[in-house]
Amino acid sequence: MNFKEEYDAVVVGAGPAGSVFAKVAAEGGMSVLLIDKKKSIGSPVRCGEGIGEGKWKWGKHSNFRVPEKAVAAHIGGALLVAPNGNSITVRNEGTKGFVLERKIFDKFLAAEAARAGAHVRANTGAKNLLIKGGKICGVRLEYFGEEFEVRSDLVVSAEGMEARIAREAGFGLPSFSLYDVDTCFEYEMVNVEVSDLIEIYLGSCAPRGYVWVFPKGRDCANVGIGVGGHLGLNPKKLLDKFIDSSPRFKKAEVLEEKGGVISVGECLKELVKDNFMVIGTAAHQVDPIHGGGIALAMKAGAIAGDTAIEAWRKKDFSKKSLSPYTEQWNSTEAKRLDKKLVLRKVIEQLNDSDYNAIIEALDEKELDKVLKGEYKSAVARVLLKRPQLLKVLGVLITN
Amino acid sequence: MVFNLDKRKCILCAGCVSVCPKLALSLKESIVCDESLCIKCLACEKVCPVNAIKILK
Repeated sequence: MNFKEEYDAVVVGAGPAGSVFAKVAAEGGMSVLLIDKKKSIGSPVRCGEGIGEGKWKWGKHSNFRVPEKAVAAHIGGALLVAPNGNSITVRNEGTKGFVLERKIFDKFLAAEAARAGAHVRANTGAKNLLIKGGKICGVRLEYFGEEFEVRSDLVVSAEGMEARIAREAGFGLPSFSLYDVDTCFEYEMVNVEVSDLIEIYLGSCAPRGYVWVFPKGRDCANVGIGVGGHLGLNPKKLLDKFIDSSPRFKKAEVLEEKGGVISVGECLKELVKDNFMVIGTAAHQVDPIHGGGIALAMKAGAIAGDTAIEAWRKKDFSKKSLSPYTEQWNSTEAKRLDKKLVLRKVIEQLNDSDYNAIIEALDEKELDKVLKGEYKSAVARVLLKRPQLLKVLGVLITN
Repeated sequence: MVFNLDKRKCILCAGCVSVCPKLALSLKESIVCDESLCIKCLACEKVCPVNAIKILK
C-alpha cells in the first residue's frame, strides 16, 4: 500500500473538482495520485449539497449522470421568501436539480477516478510543495505520521477554501478580504416538513447572505445560513434565532452540525503556474450569489484535465502550455460569474423594506429571467414601485 | 498564547485556516496555530461561524 515515488500528476483534495480532474487525466493516459486528508472522502463537507440538473456538463464530458444513490432529494424549483413572509415560487425544466448526499456522491466520484486508473488515498495530507531549483516538482505527503516525497510534473490544488498548497504556490495572495467571503453554519435536521423546492429566506435574518432550507428527503433538510464575513456576526446564533421563531421547526431534531467559510467574490484570474493548476473552490470558482460551487468545481476539473492531457502529450507543463484551461474558464464561466458579482453587490445594499417591495413587484416569470441573468425587465418593474432604488439597481441595466 | 481556541465549540470547519493571510493556521486533527507567523490581524476571530476564537494581543 505504498505510494509510487513518481506520478505525472498529484491532485490534492478528492472533492468534486479533484476527483473529476483525476478521472479525466487518468482516462487520457496520465498516471495520477489523488489524495484527501480526511479519513473519509466526502465527510464532513462544508456545503448545502445543492446542485442544478445538467449544469455540470462540459464539452465531451456531457454524459455524466448523478447516480440515484447519491441523491438525497429531487428538486423541482425554488421558493424565494421576503422578510414579510411573501414569496415567489419558480418551477420549470430549468430550475430542476438535486440535493446530494455528498458522503455518497464524493466517494462515487473518487471511485470513478480509481476505476479510470488513478491511485486514490484517503487519510493522506499534503504538507508542502517540493521545489528543486526554483521549480515545483512534487509534494511532500503525510500518512500515519510518516512523510513521503512524491515527485510529479504537475501538482493540482483542489483543496477547497483552505487552499494551503495553492497559497504556498503563490495563488490568491495576500489573502481574502473578509468582505469577499460569507461565514456559514448549517444543521441537517429531521422532522421538518418540506416540499420539492429549495427555500431561500432573504433580509436581515441573514445580513449579506440568506437562510436556506434544502430538502434531503420526505422529512429531512439542510437548514443553514450564510452571512457577510466582514460583519463580525455569529451565524449560528442568527440561524438559531430564525429556527426558534418558526413553528415549522418545533419538532426538528439535529442529525449533523457543520459550517465553514465560502468565497463570494471573484474567481482567481490566474489559475496556472509552471507545473501547477488550481481548480474548484480553491480557485474561488463559486457562484457569488448563492455560494454554490459543486458544478463549477466539476467543470473546472474537466477543463483542467483536458488541458493537462494535452500538456502531458507535449511533455510541457509550463504556464503557457497550461493556459488553455485559464483562457477557457475566463472566457466562459468567469464572465458569467462576474456578472453575478455585480448583482450581489447591488442586493447587499437592500434593506428588508426593499426586499419586500421587490418580491411583491416580481412574479415567477420575472424571477426566472433574473435567475437566467436577464435583469432589465425585473429592474423596470421594481423601479415602478420604488423609484428611489434607481441609484442602487441602475448598474444592473447599464452593462 | 495569542491564538486561543475553545475546542469545545470548534466544529473543525477550517474557516479560520482559509482566511489567515500568513498561513499560520492548519487543520489536522484540530486547528493548529504557528504563532511565530501570526500578525494578529484578527481575521480568524471575526470569521469563525461559532465565535470559538479569541486573539489575545
